[in-house]
Amino acid sequence: MNANATITLVTSSRFGDHDIRGEEHPEVAARLQCISDQLQAGNLAPLLRYVEPTEAGRQWLLTFHNDSWLFRFEEEVLSGRSFIGHQDNQVCYETFAVAQLAAGAAINGVDLVEGGSGGPVFCAVRPPGHHAEPNLPLGFCFLNNCVIAARYWQKQHNRRRLCVLDFDAHHGNGIQTAFEEDREVLYISIHEHPSFSFPGTGFAEETCGGRDEGGLLNVPLQPGAGDEQVIAALDGKVAERLAGFRPEALIIAAGFDGHREDDMSGLNYSTALYQMLGERIGGWAREHAGGRVLSILEGGYHLPSLAASVEAYLTGLHSVLAEKN
Amino acid sequence: MYVSYYMTSSPMTVGPELGIMEAKAILDSHKFRHLPVVDGEGRLLGMVTDRDIRSAFPSTMTSSEDRDIVLHTVRLTPVGEIMSANNVVLTTTSTLDDALLLFEKKKVGALPVLDEAGRVIGILSSNDLLKAWRSLFGLGEKGSVLLSIKVDAEPHSLCRLVQVLEELNVPFTRLIRSDGTDLQPPMIYLRINTYNIRSVHKAIEMAGFTVFQPTPLSIGHK
Repeated sequence: MNANATITLVTSSRFGDHDIRGEEHPEVAARLQCISDQLQAGNLAPLLRYVEPTEAGRQWLLTFHNDSWLFRFEEEVLSGRSFIGHQDNQVCYETFAVAQLAAGAAINGVDLVEGGSGGPVFCAVRPPGHHAEPNLPLGFCFLNNCVIAARYWQKQHNRRRLCVLDFDAHHGNGIQTAFEEDREVLYISIHEHPSFSFPGTGFAEETCGGRDEGGLLNVPLQPGAGDEQVIAALDGKVAERLAGFRPEALIIAAGFDGHREDDMSGLNYSTALYQMLGERIGGWAREHAGGRVLSILEGGYHLPSLAASVEAYLTGLHSVLAEKN
Repeated sequence: MYVSYYMTSSPMTVGPELGIMEAKAILDSHKFRHLPVVDGEGRLLGMVTDRDIRSAFPSTMTSSEDRDIVLHTVRLTPVGEIMSANNVVLTTTSTLDDALLLFEKKKVGALPVLDEAGRVIGILSSNDLLKAWRSLFGLGEKGSVLLSIKVDAEPHSLCRLVQVLEELNVPFTRLIRSDGTDLQPPMIYLRINTYNIRSVHKAIEMAGFTVFQPTPLSIGHK
């Protein structure tokens, strides 16, 4: 098999240990199972390679989170609490270790991209991360996997200019917190307008940084927006900002809850849009970043759409990354 | 609700004898637009603004000879002579409502805040007022979103809404009922803290309310 043809999935059955006890919570262990089942049964199956992640060392968690939050997080789960701060953030005894494993998967993903085959690397992890703040869990997120991966990429591999592109239906407030004052990292987020959607941040007016600098590009979409609006944003201001900034690597906060079947947003994306997203992202990775792109799962709660959308995304990404030069 | 919670405390002040050139340098270097002028005890004498100072300088249309004369005069003039002395002021007991009404009526950009003895203890700019209202409404509070709900004719609708949220165990931080205007229907605004906004929509609609949603952009909106 051509090495470029491999799709690497960094995932583990241990992610199922973050068990939210069968209560009516959308961020369930079955999310990863359905992705795995779909990929195994589909056209991508012969290309898949699985990598078991290792837990992130504390020094990497501390590149974004503060010590007091890490202690509190660990203490609260070990004391048997069922949620931290808000009912959204449900936990069990294993949650701290599993969240550390998710952050570790993101770090492993960076190493795989750096040392790797050139094919897509996708971290199928949970809990998700992009809402997590340095000292605060929010919206099912405890540790900010994308931010930790970015800091690792900078420190361990000396890739300073990074772009985090987030197509989850919700604005990644935690990623914005990490990079809004940082001109080496560009955070681009396309999400449902914060006047109508969680977490209430990510207004277009929060955009900052010059054309060739890092900073922020927030692209809020009206409820009901679909493929057409996303493609217009991608081919317009997103492409333009990326061309100006020319990152050395891309981190994708890959959330699939903008799908029209997913009840967690009012967005109206089709499954096919995720394939187009994969193609665009693969193209930018090749054009600007030497093919270096790492995708990390964020949201996506309607299980059949989540599975189909991940498959579509990887199909698109793979089709471009595996092309011969 | 008091302006003292939102004002800039202990602002920079100047004496009336300070030259216009020096006052301009202070405004420019600190990017201020308003300077309170005070006596030796810190009591307000007047306000000098960047606009007052600009008006003191010669116009670009002035001939170069006249310009030199005006500039010479400017150099010799203290701010006490160009400040506006009949000031509208706020006090320690003024509320944000007072400030809003004054800003609206007097068309000023900032108001000095005085203690009982008339000493300047703060300054409230129109930008400070915007920030105050932003914080009162909770705009940008992470993890929250403002729902707009159409008002029905029934009494006790606020009680019913609160009950729905309590049953769902969804925290909320703002609850506002507005009668509407010619352009805007009467509405209840509710800032809730949850990721699962659709479940709140459903529960509120089950209780007989209509959640106001913007017009969908595309056909086939779920």
